[in-house]
Amino acid sequence: MEGSFASLNVTSERYEVFTLLNHTRYGAGFRRIWQDPVLAISLLLVVLFIFVAIILPILAMVGASLSEEGRALFAHYLGERAYQDIITNTLVMGLTVATAGTAIGFLFAYVQVKMKAPFKRFMHLIALVPIISPPFAVATAIILLFGRNGMISKGIFGVRYDIYGLTGLTLALALSLFTIAYLNFKGMLQALDPSLEEAATNLGASKWHIFRTVTVPMLLPGFAASFLLLFVEAIADLGNPLVLGGNYEVLATRVYISIIGLHDNVAAAVFSMILLVPSLTVFIIQRYWVGRTSVVSVTGKPTGTPQQITHPVVRWVLISLVLGICALIVGIYVVIFVGSVTRVFGVNNAFTLEHFDFVINGYGSEAMVDTTTFAIVATPLAGVLGMLIAFLIVRKAFWGRNAVDFGTMLGIAVPGTILGIGYLIVFNNPITLTLPFVGDNVPAITLIPKLTGGRAILGGALAIIVVYVVRSVPAALRSGVALLSQIDPAIEEASISLGADNAVTFRKITLPLIRPAFLAGLIYAFARSMTTISAIVFLTTPQTRIMTQQILNETEQGRYGNAFAYCVILIGIVLVAIAILYATVGSTTGAERSLEGGA
Amino acid sequence: MAATQSNAADSLRLESISKAFPARGGEGEVRAVDTVNLNILPGEFLTLLGPSGCGKTTTLRLIAGFETPSSGRILLDGKDITNQPPNKRDMAMVFQSYALFPHMTVFDNIAYGLHLRRLSRSEIRTKVVETLELMGLKGLGDRRPNELSGGQQQRVALARSLVMEPRVLLFDEPLSNLDAKLRVQMRSEIHRLQRRLRITSIYVTHDQIEAMALSDRIVVMNKGKIEQMGTPGEIYHTPATRFVADFIGRANFVDATVIEESGSNLVVEVLGRRFTVPAKFSYSPGMSVVAMLRSESLTLRQDESLLQVVIDQAMFLGSEVEYVVNVGTKQIVVVEQDPRGISVFDEGQQVGLDFAQEAIHLLPA
Ligand SMILES: Nc1ncnc2c1ncn2[C@@H]1O[C@H](COP(=O)(O)OP(=O)(O)O)[C@@H](O)[C@H]1O
Ligand SMILES: [Mg+2]
Repeated sequence: MEGSFASLNVTSERYEVFTLLNHTRYGAGFRRIWQDPVLAISLLLVVLFIFVAIILPILAMVGASLSEEGRALFAHYLGERAYQDIITNTLVMGLTVATAGTAIGFLFAYVQVKMKAPFKRFMHLIALVPIISPPFAVATAIILLFGRNGMISKGIFGVRYDIYGLTGLTLALALSLFTIAYLNFKGMLQALDPSLEEAATNLGASKWHIFRTVTVPMLLPGFAASFLLLFVEAIADLGNPLVLGGNYEVLATRVYISIIGLHDNVAAAVFSMILLVPSLTVFIIQRYWVGRTSVVSVTGKPTGTPQQITHPVVRWVLISLVLGICALIVGIYVVIFVGSVTRVFGVNNAFTLEHFDFVINGYGSEAMVDTTTFAIVATPLAGVLGMLIAFLIVRKAFWGRNAVDFGTMLGIAVPGTILGIGYLIVFNNPITLTLPFVGDNVPAITLIPKLTGGRAILGGALAIIVVYVVRSVPAALRSGVALLSQIDPAIEEASISLGADNAVTFRKITLPLIRPAFLAGLIYAFARSMTTISAIVFLTTPQTRIMTQQILNETEQGRYGNAFAYCVILIGIVLVAIAILYATVGSTTGAERSLEGGA
Repeated sequence: MAATQSNAADSLRLESISKAFPARGGEGEVRAVDTVNLNILPGEFLTLLGPSGCGKTTTLRLIAGFETPSSGRILLDGKDITNQPPNKRDMAMVFQSYALFPHMTVFDNIAYGLHLRRLSRSEIRTKVVETLELMGLKGLGDRRPNELSGGQQQRVALARSLVMEPRVLLFDEPLSNLDAKLRVQMRSEIHRLQRRLRITSIYVTHDQIEAMALSDRIVVMNKGKIEQMGTPGEIYHTPATRFVADFIGRANFVDATVIEESGSNLVVEVLGRRFTVPAKFSYSPGMSVVAMLRSESLTLRQDESLLQVVIDQAMFLGSEVEYVVNVGTKQIVVVEQDPRGISVFDEGQQVGLDFAQEAIHLLPA
């Protein structure tokens, strides 16, 4: 799944509230940071990372789009009917996906929290599956199920249904992105103080009345947040429109075609710019408006248990809906799995292992090893960086704290394609500094070597790893911030008061306490690195093959079997990695669990 | 107020300490601590007392080193420690929330600071075991904080600081999370320990009873400034300002007029009667002042010769009865101790109000 910068931001609103409340406690200030060399160096590194790996590429992309050539293209694109349609398409798709995804997410969360239902654990797991799902998998499976020759559309209903276009995109994206909304609502519904509903009941309100007048208004910020986040994710998505778009063109695919098909960086930058405007607007609205207006979870610990919905008709309608969607998702994954061991799915259904052979022993093995290696390198970097930034932001009141947070979040707030183009522009050549006033015979100083392409250091792998880190840190940061702001800062102060310095305190107190967030950050980083496509699609080279890129190739060639085999293996690798992370980093002590539970 | 000249006996000195924070959500700044001068003597138990938001915690955190003062100096044994980081200061803080390390056992919590001092294992063991015993925590060393009751957690927090034998112990409302009964019990325990170990202690609380019970000296703060400093007795009986009088104990304020001066005494008229009281500040005849009358210094009696008042409200509180009586112009509160011995008056009844001359404490109007 591409996206989901909010899947771990369940408690980000809570963080805002906490920082407001606790602001008094961290007056330590800049002076304190500079007094401590370890802190000072960490902060400098973080700022450098944000600037070089995030801000610089975005600025370069913006710069290219505003060049003379780019300005001409702007006029052209914004003025012409065909391009206006692409923009409209993009926004319409964002709206339909955001609506459908938010609705599904809410439905799942509502049933999960407010109802007695069978298979609840199963529903929960199904809702989490999209996190580890590779791009194209859902889209391709949907084609096989509902396309012109689809198993369900043609096979069962006998219609030649055309799933390509808005309908298919909405279905695929909503099913891939609803997890964000689900986790958001689940957190909110659980945090919703039950005494509010109890009070309303006491005053004689019916369940329906309570739902309308208490629950929904309390969750309104949650709806807004989910809607906006899904909107951004949807318009940024590249994988699904490439496979399912058909004639329905969106900005992301335009960016892709400009670079891959036309080798026109400026045109790509201009399309990206047009895409960046709604993305960034929505990100800022979500951050500064929705984040501030949250009414839920100010008190932190709710008392009592949420009231259950018992109305039989309501219950069974909602439960059936959820189970239906679950069945659809299961069906999709069954298609993926069966497709990976079938000669040509739907045409020649003979069992075969040739697709796996292709991936494991043949052409695909390199991509498998490379991708996993890059992800393994990027994961701990992203995890540690996320925790460090979270620590600095929550615990150290320094000037520019908000900018550091914002800068880090930009890494995921901007569409991946934009970041990719930025890297192409900035790091395709070494960045050098020529000293003024010295002779021509003095070589220029290389500040940043060439990072992308075949002849870059590590054959371009470095740029890909950096992108993985950039795309993963925001989630680690949010989960770190969420957990850290629930840990009494006095615990760290107690350590300092007993004679420990900042570094010892971070190692012996902070890090063990935020281990659950660290673990979540690592899992997320690995899963995202393995499944990301939009940000690295322009950075892969014949030397550095990436699985998602290979899946795209196979899908485009119609070799679904190979694509599915890649997907199955990718899911397998992610699951194994999660198991390993749990075993090594996972927390076992009751203390940490109680902290988690108190969240 | 307090002496700013050097005093060799000082343990800790705050010299015109101020701390301003940028105002939350707006322009300007909040002066949380405003030119505070303070000398703390070795072995002294000093309490910072005041309403919420008056700057007590900030003062304590400045002393601990968690905040840097905007101006002023802090000296420990004559040495300037204003810019010394908190971990380098020989002080230990007991937090309101206890701030126990949830991922460590009780033993490890207490041993934490000793490890940092690089004491030998056996030394650490001895000290921790001793402290566990001293604090009545014997046998709980292997527990985790979340397996302890609130009172036990409080003891661990205290033990963790005590074991360090710091020059100064700092307490930030350590008892405010305990229920009433436990609070009283821990209060007397802290009292007993401190009198025994005589570690210089600075204690922050908004609870006046706690402050009076524990302290050698109380510093009453208001809006970042020191209102008054003195022994519990001085603060209670001779408050310097109306704020202090009002904050501590139950006080009635009635208007009074200075009639004349006689030597170092004054004749004042309070509630229609004349009293001769010591002059605490300069007066001129005819001046309006305020007389503070503690509720427990007042008594009601059936006596026609006394000022007659009407009882508006009578509340039986077990150990005492609290009356709200009307003295014609205003209401005042009278408390009668041990109501069994005396007659309890009814609401609406008319009785006489009596008080001794010593009950009067004059404040500027
Ligand atoms: N870090 C901070 N930023 C802004 N204002 C603060 C900060 N810390 C304390 N204050 C303000 O300073 C004043 C004193 O706070 P505090 O020392 O916590 O009071 P107390 O402990 O007496 O209740 C309050 O008005 C508080 O809001
Ligand atoms: Mg306080």
